[in-house]
Amino acid sequence: MIVEVLFQGHDLEVLEKAAYRFTNKFALVITTNGDNQICALDFPADKTEEAISFTIREFKNEVLDQKLRAKIKAESEPIRNLILAHAFSKTSLIKNEQV
Amino acid sequence: MSKFEVIEFFERPSESNYQLLPFSFDRLDGEKYILTNQAGEYITMDRMYLDKFINKKLSSTSQEYIKLRSRQFLLDETNSIAPELLALKVRTKYSRLSEFTSLHIFVVSLRCEHSCPYCQVSRQSEDKSAFDMSRDVALKSLDMVFRSPAEAVKIEFQGGEPLLNFDLIKFVVAEARRRNIEFKKNLGFVIATNLALVNREILAFCKENDVLISTSLDGPRDLHNHNRPRPGKNSYEKAIEGINLAREILGKYSVSALMTTTEASLSRPIEIIDEYLAHGFNGIFLRSLSPYGFAIKTKTYRAYKTAEWLEFYKKGLDYIIQLNKQGIPFQEYYATTILVKMLTSREPGYVDLMSPSGMGIAAVVYNYDGTVHPSDESRMLAEMGDNTFKMGNVLTDTYEEIFTSEALLNPLEESITKSVPMCHECAFEPYCGSEPVYHHALHGDFVARKAESDFCSKNMAIFKLLISLMEEDPFVKSLFMRWANKT
Repeated sequence: MIVEVLFQGHDLEVLEKAAYRFTNKFALVITTNGDNQICALDFPADKTEEAISFTIREFKNEVLDQKLRAKIKAESEPIRNLILAHAFSKTSLIKNEQV
Repeated sequence: MSKFEVIEFFERPSESNYQLLPFSFDRLDGEKYILTNQAGEYITMDRMYLDKFINKKLSSTSQEYIKLRSRQFLLDETNSIAPELLALKVRTKYSRLSEFTSLHIFVVSLRCEHSCPYCQVSRQSEDKSAFDMSRDVALKSLDMVFRSPAEAVKIEFQGGEPLLNFDLIKFVVAEARRRNIEFKKNLGFVIATNLALVNREILAFCKENDVLISTSLDGPRDLHNHNRPRPGKNSYEKAIEGINLAREILGKYSVSALMTTTEASLSRPIEIIDEYLAHGFNGIFLRSLSPYGFAIKTKTYRAYKTAEWLEFYKKGLDYIIQLNKQGIPFQEYYATTILVKMLTSREPGYVDLMSPSGMGIAAVVYNYDGTVHPSDESRMLAEMGDNTFKMGNVLTDTYEEIFTSEALLNPLEESITKSVPMCHECAFEPYCGSEPVYHHALHGDFVARKAESDFCSKNMAIFKLLISLMEEDPFVKSLFMRWANKT
């Protein structure tokens, strides 16, 4: 059974990451139309309507979580690299590039 | 300098300027979320606060803000040292990596007088030359052991039943000790044995050479003997006799035991734990079957599902907590391994829960025939004809060829959780592992789609269980802190 879910103004990566967590529940095809993204969720035939509705709700919540994760990633990227540089500063694994 | 912040510190505007430090989050249950920072420290909070926090709407005087700041989830003008503190913790977590290969497993014989249906490797054979390690292979394997940069090195003798080739064990121990006069490593020995063949002479040798004993105890007599058939149907009696004799000669803490959960064990977690208590053990490792080799071939592994094992685990852990509440100290070792990761900056080095995977890095296996495998599980796959992880052979290859072989490096590189879909953003990543051998055995590639991985669902369920138990009950939090800090 294929169910279409419409999103608006979302990054494709956010939708893809959210969907990846549901690879055991449905297969997905995303098409875009301007600012709209249409997710076609393909469920196994034996799934009940109740189970499908529940999974769609979970998927929508996961999309919201992925949007937050994208914000964290963007904001904390420089500091993440700084922390790792600090962490391994006393090893011989990081070398200064020749200028 | 005052012990306290000035009053203005507490009177700052409710929406303060702060910067997010790197962290991951996942849903624990309902609206409750878990957040973990780069060092694996965690905080739980409702989604409403998580949303506020990420969107910079969290008041600097709220409890959530103060907790987040104290555990380096955010950076503001009062904690500029946070990145350095995090860096120190991250460095401590990964320091084990430079201690390359501390556990060296010698499979001294594949022969065994037991015929356990889930055993992956044992052979019912009298032919010593076909399935016993030779002195030549042992010497070449020791060359590899002492090339390892690890300061602490443990040599573990496995089988089959290793005591069937006890002369070689004696030879390896003597030779390793002789070589170690020059290398000065912290050298230890373990024999993993079912104890059926143990005697005073063997244990006197163990005593003289500080060799520890690790054995199998699956539970009460009927369950153990059902799981571990041998001629005489007395595996349990032999194990208990052996444990008592080993303790008498080596001391109580030189003998440890492992159990394996079969379908017959699932309804009996309490009886199994009681059996360990009755024999004076301080804890138990509630271990599921490994999905390798004969366990798959004989359908033993498929005999129960992950959900059933989790139910068994939950009942067992709950019982252990109740025992502690009654003043009987007892520990569950899988939980302890995870709790060390959750509650301390240390890395316990448990191969299944490491990323990069512990294969080859934490442990390596020298098989009886000289072939080298990066883990016990991959050696079991090789016995079933799958040589994907075979690193080489001590008789023909150098240390460099073996430890830079593609059979080791490819799975290590491909499976690092920090770069695996789903894992890299998972809040439980700091506690989990990559397990390329498991995923190769069951899914045909080193990574697999995690939503379909039983390894992922099993461990996620345990991580969530441990955190929920700590959140709900201060006694459990304090007990788990003790477990984590005791090891």
